[in-house]
Amino acid sequence: MRADLRRRSVLAAAVMTVPLVAAGCKGVGALGTPPEPGPDVAMLRGAIGTEQALIARYRSAMAGSPALSGTLGPLLAQHREHLARLTSMLIEPAGHSASPDTTPSAAGTAAAGAGPAATLAALEAAEADAARSLASRLTLAPPALAQLMASIAASEASHALLLRTHQAGG
Amino acid sequence: MTGAAGPATTDPAGRARTAAALQSALAAENAAIYGYGVAGAQLGTAARAQALRDWTQHEVARDQLQAMLTSLGVKPVAAQPAYRLPFPVHGTRAAISLAGYLENQVAAAYLGIVALDDSRLRTWGAGQARACALRATTWLGRTVAFPGLAPGAGPATARPSASP
Repeated sequence: MRADLRRRSVLAAAVMTVPLVAAGCKGVGALGTPPEPGPDVAMLRGAIGTEQALIARYRSAMAGSPALSGTLGPLLAQHREHLARLTSMLIEPAGHSASPDTTPSAAGTAAAGAGPAATLAALEAAEADAARSLASRLTLAPPALAQLMASIAASEASHALLLRTHQAGG
Repeated sequence: MTGAAGPATTDPAGRARTAAALQSALAAENAAIYGYGVAGAQLGTAARAQALRDWTQHEVARDQLQAMLTSLGVKPVAAQPAYRLPFPVHGTRAAISLAGYLENQVAAAYLGIVALDDSRLRTWGAGQARACALRATTWLGRTVAFPGLAPGAGPATARPSASP
């Protein structure tokens, strides 16, 4: 009970202190020239693109190997959470689309037709790459974005571990 | 001593922020070391060996944090004699849940280090948060979307509660 209350108050405090990352806000175009997006916006767009590519890969893998859905479904759901949280940090002038979730990706179709073991191995490699890429760039990000990138990188590294475990377990 | 080469912070405010983040991580490591002792006592032979390995990794990280704080001229926080557990720990399942819980708490504290300006400390903190997430996944057999972060926004509470 007390722990629950404490958690709630910490959450409320966290919500209030999360800074907005992007320069500018919705509708600013109506008021004048939109500000130039900062380097952190480019970094955020890169991370969003990586999540979209991973989501496409998982969807393709599950379509090609329905038997893997129980393993891959929860990981796909977590990538959607990554994408939503990254996208929520990106505030762009009207006219930019922050989350074209339906973008077809060459990487997304590569796994189709491969066997389950090859599919798991390919996803494991993609997760490890994504985690490494985020980890290597987070020194350049503003603090709140760096924390989010580190957390997502940790999540993706653990995805890779879980996928490796499933390969070993057959 | 990967990240312990020395926080190169010069301004007093930056030093204070660095010291506070390192102390929070140290406090979380102290609690995790205590908690792994509790969990290990409830586990069978194989799982207890894994708990011992993880416990050792937390001890190594604790030693690194203590060295980093000392090099900043700050006295490292001491471990409490006992910590209040987040839930009763009787039996294997609760022990495994406790290990997963502790790893997420420690990861949250390391994300505090990731928010610092020093890029070496950031990288080290991110590596530690990653190690926590991997250990949690090994224990629980599942992953989470945001290790160390509350589901809504911002870092999860990093301070395990000490017993009164």
